[in-house]
Amino acid sequence: MDYLIQIIVSGLTLGSMYALSAVGLSLVWGSFNCLNMAHGSVMALGAYFTLIAVDSIGFPVWVSLPFAMVGGALVGTAVYYLSVHWMLNTRNYETNIIIATFGIGMVMENGLLKIFGGYPYAQPLTVQGVAGLIGNVPVNYRSIVIWVVAAVLMVALGLLLTRTRAGRAIRAVAQNRDGAKLMGVPVARVYVQVLMLASLLAAVSGILISTTLQIVPYMGANPLLKAFIVICLAGLGNILGALYAALLVGLVEASASTLWAPQYGFPVILVVVILALIWRPEGLFGRVMVARQ
Amino acid sequence: MADTREPLLACRGVFKHFGALAAVNNFDLDVLPGDVLGIGGPNGAGKTTFLDVISGINPATDGRIRFGGADIRQQSPEQICHAGIARTYQLNAVFDTLTIRENVLVGAAFGRGDRGVFPRMRFSREMRARVDRALALTGLEDRQHLNARELPVLDRKLLMLAGALATEPKLLLVDEPVGGLNPHEIDQVMEIMSGLTREGMTIILIEHVMRFLLALSKRVVIMHHGEKIYEGVPTGLLQDERVVEVYLGEGTAARLRHLMGGSAAHG
Amino acid sequence: MMRRDYILSAVLLVIAVGLPWLDPPRYLLAQGLLLFCWATVVSQWNLVFGIAGIFSLAQIAIFAVGAYSTAMMGRYLEMNLWYAFPIAGVIGVIFSLLIGLGCLRMRGVYVALLTIAVGQVLFVLIMGDGECSPLNPGICMSFTGGPSGMGGFGGFGWREVLGGRHFIIGDYYSMLGLLILAMAFTFWIIHSRMGLAFKALRDNPELASSRGISRFKYQLLVFALSAFFTAEAGAFFAAHFGSVGPGQLSFTLLLFLISMLIVGGMGRPWGPLLGAFLIMGGDEFLKEAGEWRHIGFGVMLLVFMIFLPDGVAGLIDRVWRRLTTRGGAARAGKAAPAE
Repeated sequence: MDYLIQIIVSGLTLGSMYALSAVGLSLVWGSFNCLNMAHGSVMALGAYFTLIAVDSIGFPVWVSLPFAMVGGALVGTAVYYLSVHWMLNTRNYETNIIIATFGIGMVMENGLLKIFGGYPYAQPLTVQGVAGLIGNVPVNYRSIVIWVVAAVLMVALGLLLTRTRAGRAIRAVAQNRDGAKLMGVPVARVYVQVLMLASLLAAVSGILISTTLQIVPYMGANPLLKAFIVICLAGLGNILGALYAALLVGLVEASASTLWAPQYGFPVILVVVILALIWRPEGLFGRVMVARQ
Repeated sequence: MADTREPLLACRGVFKHFGALAAVNNFDLDVLPGDVLGIGGPNGAGKTTFLDVISGINPATDGRIRFGGADIRQQSPEQICHAGIARTYQLNAVFDTLTIRENVLVGAAFGRGDRGVFPRMRFSREMRARVDRALALTGLEDRQHLNARELPVLDRKLLMLAGALATEPKLLLVDEPVGGLNPHEIDQVMEIMSGLTREGMTIILIEHVMRFLLALSKRVVIMHHGEKIYEGVPTGLLQDERVVEVYLGEGTAARLRHLMGGSAAHG
Repeated sequence: MMRRDYILSAVLLVIAVGLPWLDPPRYLLAQGLLLFCWATVVSQWNLVFGIAGIFSLAQIAIFAVGAYSTAMMGRYLEMNLWYAFPIAGVIGVIFSLLIGLGCLRMRGVYVALLTIAVGQVLFVLIMGDGECSPLNPGICMSFTGGPSGMGGFGGFGWREVLGGRHFIIGDYYSMLGLLILAMAFTFWIIHSRMGLAFKALRDNPELASSRGISRFKYQLLVFALSAFFTAEAGAFFAAHFGSVGPGQLSFTLLLFLISMLIVGGMGRPWGPLLGAFLIMGGDEFLKEAGEWRHIGFGVMLLVFMIFLPDGVAGLIDRVWRRLTTRGGAARAGKAAPAE
């Protein structure tokens, strides 16, 4: 029984962190059918932004979160103007953008390495202590904060996409790029907004991940791969599906780590997801729940 | 009217469902060798879906489709191509990075069959001859080394036709060969197509340009909501109340009656 | 077009064969040898990715399988490596065929995910192999050598023939021979009927299938055929260095090789060789720059994707076409994305 509770608690925590980054990646895919390989480095940048805000500038800790979110959004804009902007109308633009954003990610990651060194830092924006026990399993305040932050941002994103003008434009572009263009939606502006939004979420995801581990320049590589796996499992571009798939992947990883050994978490996820994809090549939730055709 | 010949293509009770929607609804059709069948009907009537069903791109959900005596309903597009059905697409589908000649060579090299686990590596003399013939039929010879990506719409349409012809099909499916062309270009395609019909090629043709459809077809089928609402000679179409109501409209029908009156005199 | 290829091959061959006779520094020979190795791998990757248009990243894993299977045959079966090489190639082909089967129903980035994942699983398995078995704590047997890799399986054997000072010349010519075979193989495939099927499937899979091309058959064929020389390159790599390690599955190597493919020119027969040369040359230059090396690579990928997405080979082709077809229709390749 304790095992089960342990799996659910740590699975939900992992799942919440994956969901934030995966939803961003999925949003980008939904809008222009491309993977943003710089997404992982944006996560790392987000974590470093809090570090800069607190240690270098001396902001109070709670200001560092909005600081990092704004920073993330600006980086997203830069990613747009450095890659997508030039490539949308070229042949094989999907592959070109993947490789270009891969290059951008390399530059960011190694830039961080150059500036901060490979030395791991602790995330200043964190809470300590145990909130209580469920059965015999301790639940940290940190886990609760992660759940709350993820839930609040997910709900906010949902409201943004369904209730606001900008959100409706994003969904229109995701459904039909040409149609949206004909209806007068400024497609290029929507792309910038999508990358800003996705990068903002990635920055927060990076901060949350760094509260459980440490801040290092290459910390985004592993979460990026997991976010990638999550959106493939969900069905590319399916945003709600990405949320469910992230929780599922978190639970699978927590099960493998708890019942077997921590280092087997990742291989087990891969094997499970590959089998799932061979069974359903379009992802578990397919494109039914997305707006895309 | 009664014809005792074995039909080349025989469809019985063919359905294509997308969820609850029947895009092709209980369709029966016989096509005899040498027949030229025109299919018309409003947008969304299921015409292109019907071609997708025959060519295996989007297999039928129910019914029987026999081609040359063999059941092809469950076969893959490449098997159906090898059996002798070739098609063109409504959108301008070509191999963008290849030249015109290479595009046609694809049909010539693979369209008749591709046996063995390890395929043959060389292009045979027959394959090259098939390419030359298809290029000559469509008048693309002088441009054969141009890149397909750089071609104007008319040439892309002709290239699709040449690629299909290079497979030397027994049945040619043509989806809107003159959509988006100007009247002069339409005449050019019409001439090429009537050349094919004179040689006895069996053709199923979809087209919205009624002048084109009526001039080439020996027989016409009109589809509406996946069903056949008319089948018969082209001239009868204009007298059919339902066809005029759901598809042509009074004005067009009158204009076409006039036009057909003229062309009927030519025999 | 074809004559240009023959002339170019002859010139390059004379340079590559002649180099050791000029008594160059040993370092240059070692780098040349590596260049041949990477160019071999990238030429086969180009077949899958550039020609057949399948976004597979499995090439690194196949390379590692070739290297590790050679090492194991040498170490555990005490085989002469020259007998092990063809077997390693066949093992690579079978391995790649299995990956191809897994990818059959997937498209685009799904294939990229699956093929990255295969490499990652191999990496994790090898890294975990060094630990003692939890069932028998007394036995710490490592089959693959774990994180530190394995050695002691011999080499090409040129040391015995040519002596310790000149054995590298033997290694150099061995690798050159492999590259020549791989390049000839690639040219043969690209210009054959099979190559036309690959290109047709890349450009428009639906149209290709309705012109009689089976995606099933040709996708498996390209996975199988591109694996042989890739695994062979891994085998020769192992034989030259006398050791193998999990570093061969690293992202750094993946980045290094993908840069070669992009900079050289994807889908162009000469692209891989050109790319391998430029990247290794550039790397030599960036070695001075220390930590800036990876940043330099990233910027370069970006710049190429923006300004020269078809690589240096594409640029040369376009210039060549403009020169040969005076004022011709050689327009720079910008078109609407497929579909």
